Amino acid sequence: MAKTTITSSSTAEYFAKNLQQVGFSSPTKAVLTTLKEAVDNALDACEEEDILPSILIEIRKVGTGGSKNTDLIEVIVEDNGPGLDPEMLPKVFGEYLASSKFGRGRCTRGQQGIGISAATTWAQLTNASGVLVTSKTSKMRKAQRAQIDVDIKGNKGLMKNKEMIDWDKKHGTRVEFRIDGRIQLNGDGGLLTYIEGTTLVNPHLELTYKLLDSDAVKIPRVSDSVPEIPAATLPHPHTMKLGEFITHAGIYGKITLSKFLKTGFSRVSDANIKEFVNNKLPKGLLEKSLTQIGEGDFKKIYQAIQATDLQSPSTRSVLTVGEEALSKSIMRLGDIDFFSVVARKPTICDFKPVVIEVALARFQTRGSEDSQVQLLRFANRVPLQFDKGACAITKAIESVNWRSYGLQQPKNSLPLGPYVFAVSMVSPFIKFKNASKETIDASDELVEEIRLALMRAGQKLSRHINREKKADDLERKIQHIEQFGPILVEKLAQLAHASDTRKKKAEAGLEKILGRDSKAAEKDLSEADSRLKALKEKMRARGIIGEIDENGDEHAEEDGETHV
Amino acid sequence: MSKMIRIRELTKDIPKEVRMITDQMLKDLENAKRPTLEAIKCSLDNSYYDPKVGFLTPGDKKVTTELNVSSVQKMARMVFLMEILLTKLETGSVATKREIYYIAKGEVKSNKILKPLDFDDQVESDAIIDYICDLLEVYREEMNCFANDRGGQTYSQHLVVTETMADGEKATIDLSTLGTAPFQPKNRPQSLKLKTKGKVDFCLVVESEGTANTLVANGMTKRHKCIVVGAQGVPSNAVRGWVKSIQTQLDVPIFFFGDLDAYTLQNIYRTLKAGSAASLIRNSDFSAPEVRFLGVLPEDVRKYDLHCYQVRENDAKEGRSLKKAKDALKNDPFFQDKKNKKLADVLNWLIKEKLRCEQQSFYSVNPKDPHICEKIIVDKIKRKSFI
Repeated sequence: MAKTTITSSSTAEYFAKNLQQVGFSSPTKAVLTTLKEAVDNALDACEEEDILPSILIEIRKVGTGGSKNTDLIEVIVEDNGPGLDPEMLPKVFGEYLASSKFGRGRCTRGQQGIGISAATTWAQLTNASGVLVTSKTSKMRKAQRAQIDVDIKGNKGLMKNKEMIDWDKKHGTRVEFRIDGRIQLNGDGGLLTYIEGTTLVNPHLELTYKLLDSDAVKIPRVSDSVPEIPAATLPHPHTMKLGEFITHAGIYGKITLSKFLKTGFSRVSDANIKEFVNNKLPKGLLEKSLTQIGEGDFKKIYQAIQATDLQSPSTRSVLTVGEEALSKSIMRLGDIDFFSVVARKPTICDFKPVVIEVALARFQTRGSEDSQVQLLRFANRVPLQFDKGACAITKAIESVNWRSYGLQQPKNSLPLGPYVFAVSMVSPFIKFKNASKETIDASDELVEEIRLALMRAGQKLSRHINREKKADDLERKIQHIEQFGPILVEKLAQLAHASDTRKKKAEAGLEKILGRDSKAAEKDLSEADSRLKALKEKMRARGIIGEIDENGDEHAEEDGETHV
Repeated sequence: MSKMIRIRELTKDIPKEVRMITDQMLKDLENAKRPTLEAIKCSLDNSYYDPKVGFLTPGDKKVTTELNVSSVQKMARMVFLMEILLTKLETGSVATKREIYYIAKGEVKSNKILKPLDFDDQVESDAIIDYICDLLEVYREEMNCFANDRGGQTYSQHLVVTETMADGEKATIDLSTLGTAPFQPKNRPQSLKLKTKGKVDFCLVVESEGTANTLVANGMTKRHKCIVVGAQGVPSNAVRGWVKSIQTQLDVPIFFFGDLDAYTLQNIYRTLKAGSAASLIRNSDFSAPEVRFLGVLPEDVRKYDLHCYQVRENDAKEGRSLKKAKDALKNDPFFQDKKNKKLADVLNWLIKEKLRCEQQSFYSVNPKDPHICEKIIVDKIKRKSFI
């Protein structure tokens, strides 16, 4: 038998060798991923402490990269978050899986504690030094500034070149990475696309960014309330598989089954327990201690629970951007003709609570009639920018017949036109296709849920499009009357050798006839207007401002006039 | 005004007809009533085929155009082109559709008020010209608008043509004196009087002008008392009218020799023999119902072991041709009539076998014999191997 040596590696060692799995597969993606991880951390930190985030992003070329065909890129992200105690810095930036959020079932952007450490590792591997961090909490007089490296063998953060410095910020964190990379501004994987997406789903974010040599751009916030990150709630019994159910019971030890069902899960009441019994849960088990219940009985209990209809999981466990905030935020992307937003109620897909939100908007200055719509995908408010073809969101959009809503759409493709389609999925447990979290796994249930949201948004959008078509129709009809009417009468009179009196009488007759037609078109238009107005009233009643004038400017609520 | 050559005995006074129509339209407008125009519907679903008549005739369906905001442009353009065509009739001048398109553009250029009527493309003005002809139930030629004279190159040692010119003068052309040059009937074959020097055995209309030329160059017209006509693909009005003249003026059997494929049968042969759905009002003067299909026939493929091509259904053009053949069997009254069952059988054979065979394949039967194609043709006529 051949001798083999089995060795174990540290988590840091594993990720250092497999950075491509977490978003560092190319120089372009490396820059984007570094930015994304730093911004995610900044936003999560602010929201944890109920601080309205003000973030500064600076990205510039500072030299030639060490690897072939790369530049040395500096990525700076500065926030006004709570800051970190100095001893926490090596843990947060230099240690893998050291997360405050791991497995807690909350809708935070970061989940496992991999991303920012991976960015530090990338900086260390390509530029021989990790991340330069400056951080200050409200209790500190001076800020701690230090370089954090990853001890790859030991999966530990190392703090170097420590110094305490004066910082005019009350609290906050600033990270500076120098990495090998390349800058892509536009397109699906572009930095600007990321910034736009982040702006869209974070209406409370004030962002200032400076990319390369361009001037700094400041995007003000449109909401003054920090989204409340829901506390982790008890699991919903329908979100578990049998094995998980039994493991969950193991945590509760010696309590009775009925107590376990009521206290270990959300949405289970005495009435529900009665229904479980009706659905073949052996009644005798209810007062038995969990430790005395065998696997066979657990299976029966589990099956009875699955066969019983329960209230949907708590909406408190999922965080939504909300129709109102989305509709305000979308205005920040450019001049809009019209838009429609839909936030679905939380539901269960693949045993997990999920909320889907959709914003569709037609822009005056983006895209063109014959180019594909711009798709912005979000998972827990983080833009997804790669591998869109396999994503549940893309599949759902392609499955909708957008032609019926007045948009052009080649077969089995994204629709065409100067639109932005933003689709956000929020869930404490999103199933991604890969560790770099770029693609949401397309299960049938999830695709259908997204599809329903899209169809609803499409219906709303079609009222705007229909109204526009009717207006075009009326304009065309009026134009036709003005253009062709006089020529028709003139030529008819010539060919029939008719007198001027006859000609004038015919002109009057023609005006009457065609006037009737344009009146009919006006009636159609006014009906379309009424339908649109009714939709807007509904939106306004729900706190969504839908008033945009021809210049794309938002109107005050009291304006009361419908402009589209 | 010089006298125009007539295609048929037209009882209609076109200028008077135009005046009546426009006067009625004007009257309707004076009364704030929508003028309505009715024209024959020229489409397959309004085509009828009676083997005793021999060509496709129109049914009762009409296309009604009522004035409204959507049709006001079409009506304005129609009276605009009516005026141009009427001027042509009055001055006795002629023009092609393309020339009419440019005349209209010139009018628009010289008169700003007419600018909305401008045609972006000839297709637009052609559609209006066709509509006017359907409305008045007249031939385009009767409006002095002529098509080009593609096809119809004719060779014979026995045919003499007398042409009556517009001024009444006559010109006589003896085709045997033209050497290797063909006679071309131009676009007014109805103005030609035909006679033969002695009895002519047959007239052969050949799909490919090149093959017609080869047959003649190799001496076919010298060895046989015949007339050879090159159709040059889908027969133009000139070819259709010319073959019709041969049929009516000469007592001679006419045969069509072309490829064995769905396109030839439907688009070329059917149009030559029975006219087309798009020209329902003119088929009586532009079809020759006595023409027979000589081949290539499926029996020739078998008898001579001719080389065939496989029709690829995934090829856009060939796939469309097969689909059209299936549609023809379902909807075309010509192929549905039992008198043409044998032609329908050929279409069915083509659909089933998914093959096509070109007329030039006759030359493969004996590669060393330059007269082999001619020999097979003559033999087929003798054996009555035609449909």
